[in-house]
Amino acid sequence: MAMLVPSQILPQTGETRRLLLKWVIAFLVPVLVFTLVWSGEAILNAALLAIFLPSSFSIAAIAAGLFMLLFYGIIMGLTGYLVAADSGRQSLLDLWISMFFFTVVPILLIYITANLFVGLAASVVVWAFYYYGRRLVRRFRPPAPLPPLPSLKVLDAEMRATLLTRARLGSFWFALSFSLIWLLADLLFYFTGQYGQASLVFLVWILLRSVLLPVAGWLLGSLGGLVAIRHAVPANGNGSNGDRAGAPVSTRRLRLLSATRAREEARDLVPNDLPLRSTGARNFYLLLLLALLVFYPMIDPFLFGPGTDSRLDNYGNAGYYVILALGLNIVVGFAGLLDLGYVAFFVIGAYTWAMVGSPQLTVLTGIHINPDIWPWLFWPMLIVAALIAALWGVLLGAPTLRLRGDYLAIVTLGFGEIIPIVVQNLDKYTNGTNGLTGIYSPAFFGVHWNVSTSEPYYYLILVLIAIVLLANLRLRDSRIGRAWIAMREDEIAAAASGINLTRTKLLAFAAGAFFSGIAGAYYAAKLSTVTSGNFSFSDSVIYLAMVVLGGLGSIPGVVVGALAVYAVNVLVLPQLDALGNDPSSIIYPIYTHILQVIPNFSFSNIRNLIFGIILVVLMIFRPEGLIPSTRRRHELHHTEAEGAEITSLDTPPGAPGFESEMRVE
Amino acid sequence: MTLFLQLIVEGLVIGSIYSLVALGYTMVYGIIELINFAHGDIFMMGTLVSLFMVTNVFHLTDVSKMSLGGMLVMLIVTCLASIVICALLGVLIERIAYRPLRNAPRLAPLISAIGVSLALEDIAKAIIGPNPVAAPYLVPLVHYSIGSVDITNTDIIVLVVALVLMVGLQWLVTSTRIGRAMRAVAQDREAAALMGVNVDRVIAITFLIGAGIAGAGGFVFLLSTNNTVFNIGFELGLFAFTAAVLGGIGNLVGAMLGGLVIGLIRALVTYIPDRDLPFGLPHGGVAWQDAVVFAILILILVFRPTGLLGQQLAEKV
Repeated sequence: MAMLVPSQILPQTGETRRLLLKWVIAFLVPVLVFTLVWSGEAILNAALLAIFLPSSFSIAAIAAGLFMLLFYGIIMGLTGYLVAADSGRQSLLDLWISMFFFTVVPILLIYITANLFVGLAASVVVWAFYYYGRRLVRRFRPPAPLPPLPSLKVLDAEMRATLLTRARLGSFWFALSFSLIWLLADLLFYFTGQYGQASLVFLVWILLRSVLLPVAGWLLGSLGGLVAIRHAVPANGNGSNGDRAGAPVSTRRLRLLSATRAREEARDLVPNDLPLRSTGARNFYLLLLLALLVFYPMIDPFLFGPGTDSRLDNYGNAGYYVILALGLNIVVGFAGLLDLGYVAFFVIGAYTWAMVGSPQLTVLTGIHINPDIWPWLFWPMLIVAALIAALWGVLLGAPTLRLRGDYLAIVTLGFGEIIPIVVQNLDKYTNGTNGLTGIYSPAFFGVHWNVSTSEPYYYLILVLIAIVLLANLRLRDSRIGRAWIAMREDEIAAAASGINLTRTKLLAFAAGAFFSGIAGAYYAAKLSTVTSGNFSFSDSVIYLAMVVLGGLGSIPGVVVGALAVYAVNVLVLPQLDALGNDPSSIIYPIYTHILQVIPNFSFSNIRNLIFGIILVVLMIFRPEGLIPSTRRRHELHHTEAEGAEITSLDTPPGAPGFESEMRVE
Repeated sequence: MTLFLQLIVEGLVIGSIYSLVALGYTMVYGIIELINFAHGDIFMMGTLVSLFMVTNVFHLTDVSKMSLGGMLVMLIVTCLASIVICALLGVLIERIAYRPLRNAPRLAPLISAIGVSLALEDIAKAIIGPNPVAAPYLVPLVHYSIGSVDITNTDIIVLVVALVLMVGLQWLVTSTRIGRAMRAVAQDREAAALMGVNVDRVIAITFLIGAGIAGAGGFVFLLSTNNTVFNIGFELGLFAFTAAVLGGIGNLVGAMLGGLVIGLIRALVTYIPDRDLPFGLPHGGVAWQDAVVFAILILILVFRPTGLLGQQLAEKV
């Protein structure tokens, strides 16, 4: 049985200094690079100018400045949390190297290429080399394995106070050293006279900032510390019995969990060997991501220069790919029903709004709607489009219930082929191959919508993605979500366990089609035109590629997969073509050579070749995708994991061997 | 009536090409229960190989200026080249994309097959471009009239080639040692392996034969329609697959029959003239040609998944 003793596991005072050094340097470098080399400082300065110089007033600049404040705040809180949560057993240098590769490298690459997706793609290449190199190094010089912790770390009140202090110190020292370096750099700027007219404002700001930052660091550090304490297991010897409020992970609960679940929970315990991966840290990342997404249109001009509108337009398009991937993930990833005609529901959603939200409505029914009110119909029609798509999902699903995997795939494929033909042939209603034009944009209070402004669409898709994402997460963890997964694993066993296969399958089709309908309505409103020729089997396959690439059944996976596929499809390949046609670029000679052999060659033309190869290679070497769901990874690699599996609940967290087991990836 | 009979002839000709492609689907499905999505694209590659042979190897411009012997040599060499290259391609695809997934979950090889199909289409698109490519006539066109129905010599060649290949395949599967091995593997792979059948080799030979027949199909397709396009394999492959399902997948005779039926249906649908139909459905048969085939596919799978000639198999637990 595990020993649950209040232990002296917390590192000693000397260790605290090491911890501080570790995390302060790990974060100082990327933050400084972002602030001084890239555009962090420029954004803040623009915000200051906007506030103090009426001539350069702009709300966008102030909002961008606000984002920067949030950014620094979140980083300080995170530093505090990490200093408190770290068990201090992982080596300093490892962390610094990996922090360098995963933060500094992408920042620099995006800054140099001035293009988010190209920069990220380059970073992915660098990461691949980094992983390869690290594996080589580890093979020849294997790191000494960490000794397993002797017991579960139970923290009494005194130790919690230590943690809190430590968090405060961590954040404080980070803020202090950051503000000092920044001060030096800015004073240099100031005395070389780079600030021009508003120099006095800047001087005051610089000095004020240098005082405020450490104070803010101290305060935010306590916040990080509080987060860390929430994940520490409280000692329950001193009178209080078991579960104490504010301690979500209690030892009692851990004992009740299965070994696998306990291992997952224990990943979040404090102190932790891999604090960067714990839930506490993940919340900070999510906050940062959220802030970035919300403020993105304002900070984009500072990050990448002119052309914000077209970039936002691209992100708006990438957004509906994300929704489609999330929807398809329900059908293919959760329920295991291969759907090769997913584009059909997208078409239905798009045409629903296209027929109601365009002059076609008047043509068909003779109804005249006030053009001021018409765009408002988008909101109810968004739901209606989704419901109609869901209804079709059920109609398609109903006859296919008896079919097994590959037959089902063919039926859905046939359906996906029929729907565009039907839409094309019903030209009385849908205008056939000419498509429908003049579709209204949505309307919203005080927002100026039209096809050429992409910012409202950016926010619209952001909200839609948030809703769909939440719905997906809730669905996955619900009773019906578990039924889907059970059905995917084994239909017969699932039916034997009391799952109503009919209902479960139909719900999967309906849910997947529902989200596709939302994406379709958004697509019609954004493009303001739909044509039946725009939808084909290859679109369905591309949606499938997104889900498979990201990881079947993994929600973060399919989001990343959708973005990656969209980026390759729309951003990277045309970019490569442009580079190939540019005589001054590196790949120009290669490109001309290829053209001599294959006259019709262009990178955009071989996108299906690339996706095809990706699908085959993934299926053979990494069927679980880039970011697999835990369940699926275990499932697909169960033979390898079996050796490390804890076979009974006799080895609860904290027992010898548990910690080392936890690190098995 | 004349039109009707004419359509029946057309349907039989295109249907026999569907049959040739359907044979490959049904053989592969029978033996490893995989819908070989790439099979239609192998057929497309067959048309490309034939096109390449006649234009780049034989430098054909006008067939009427060729001697009869020269023409026969060209036809036979082109057909053989198409068969051999497609057969090798089929084996290669099986080796690379399907064999590593032999024991993977059911959907994995299917997704892999879709990947191969996409890749083949784009390779073809890179070679011949996105638009249909016209081929020269491979034989001087001769029209025969039987009653009021017009039949060309290419139609007859297609039917004869298809018939010969089908009979040959049927003989191979029912009466030879390798055919017996194939049937054994299809029935129970493990038991066949225990009886000393080299399962991997038999599967590879199945792909070899199926793809070779698709190559011959590609040749006769080019012979009878005189053009090809990079995505012909996807479209025709789906019809052929429908034919295989209609006949009962895994059943060779069924696939042949199914191909002819699908060809006939597709041809006869065009008999409906382009005017307003009931229920406000506009357009005549031509516009709905493809939709009808897919509707048939769905209906069969839903109501009689075993097809016309297939047998009911219990799902294994």
